[in-house]
Amino acid sequence: MVKPSASISLKQAKQLVDWLEAGEQSKADQWLDDFHQEHDDKLFTSVGQLTRDLHEALQDFQLDPRIMQLTQDDLPDAQNRLQYVIEKTEDAANRTMDAVEACLPMTDEMHQRVEQVMPAWQRLMSNDIQLNEFKEMCHQVDALMRECGQNMPQIHGLMTEVLMAQDYQDITGQIIRRVIQLVEDVEKNLIELLKLFGEEQKSQAKQNVKAVDKNAAEGPIINPEQRDDVVENQDDVDDLLSSLGF
Amino acid sequence: MDKNMKILVVDDFSTMRRIIKNLLRDLGFTNIQEADDGNTALPMLQQGDFDFVVTDWNMPGMQGIDLLKEIRKDDDLAHLPVLMVTAEAKREQIIQAAQAGVNGYIVKPFTAVTLKEKLDKIFERIS
Repeated sequence: MVKPSASISLKQAKQLVDWLEAGEQSKADQWLDDFHQEHDDKLFTSVGQLTRDLHEALQDFQLDPRIMQLTQDDLPDAQNRLQYVIEKTEDAANRTMDAVEACLPMTDEMHQRVEQVMPAWQRLMSNDIQLNEFKEMCHQVDALMRECGQNMPQIHGLMTEVLMAQDYQDITGQIIRRVIQLVEDVEKNLIELLKLFGEEQKSQAKQNVKAVDKNAAEGPIINPEQRDDVVENQDDVDDLLSSLGF
Repeated sequence: MDKNMKILVVDDFSTMRRIIKNLLRDLGFTNIQEADDGNTALPMLQQGDFDFVVTDWNMPGMQGIDLLKEIRKDDDLAHLPVLMVTAEAKREQIIQAAQAGVNGYIVKPFTAVTLKEKLDKIFERIS
């Protein structure tokens, strides 16, 4: 008997017709049964193989306990950490500016007082000062020295505050380093996932990449020397604008 | 240059607004208000006789470039000088800002000297 295959051939069909014409109904039925049986077996084998592969793939994937930990704990944790970095740096910037804003009026005032004393002082230095002017100047110098005596320790304290506000660098540096490590872990696992689900995803992914608006806001450029579409500094901006006639 | 002119500083980061305010105050300007993006800034400008705008580009809500375009579209505001202070450094963007009618463009990080230079230049050209 002709070996059945997935799709029936002309030869097989002719054989069937021959059997039917010869009145051998049972032979034809038997052949058809075998034919379907074989076809179903092949389908079942293929589906079975696919199911096993998928099962094993998922099993392997879940075997890496890092994946669950990454999605459940580490990524939300990283968000909190980065949020903390924003808060810390903002806090440091504000502490610094608080101190600086407290210093500036004190230095401005001392500068003003020095300017007030200066004309009489210069006359004293060139032996050209009247007694009453000298007395007045003494009072001014007295007030200036008192003020300096008070302000200097205050300014010193505020400068120390500025110094201490820089401790954010150490803390945020450590946090960001951990987040970088996490991003590396996620990247590694994503690559594994892509490997499991095969190459065909690649071509699809490429098609899905949207055209990027070249004027879209991008934020700070961290590698201007490696790009030719960005300016590196204010001089470049000024040159560009003047070349445009601005 | 009128030191009493009313200035609006637009930036989504309060620390940057504070830095710009301090630098402007150092240059003698004290009449300064703040907004955290274009959507907040535009109604303030429409209602409040401002003389000068300093704006960032990249902000949530309305971006600086769109604020600039809105200002130039509005007959009452079109004359307002606008200085952009931004980290956006692509050539195409700078050209786009120039074409939209920006009066000055400063890239972050910037210095107090640069800010003064650009201010002087803008108001020298206007007067």
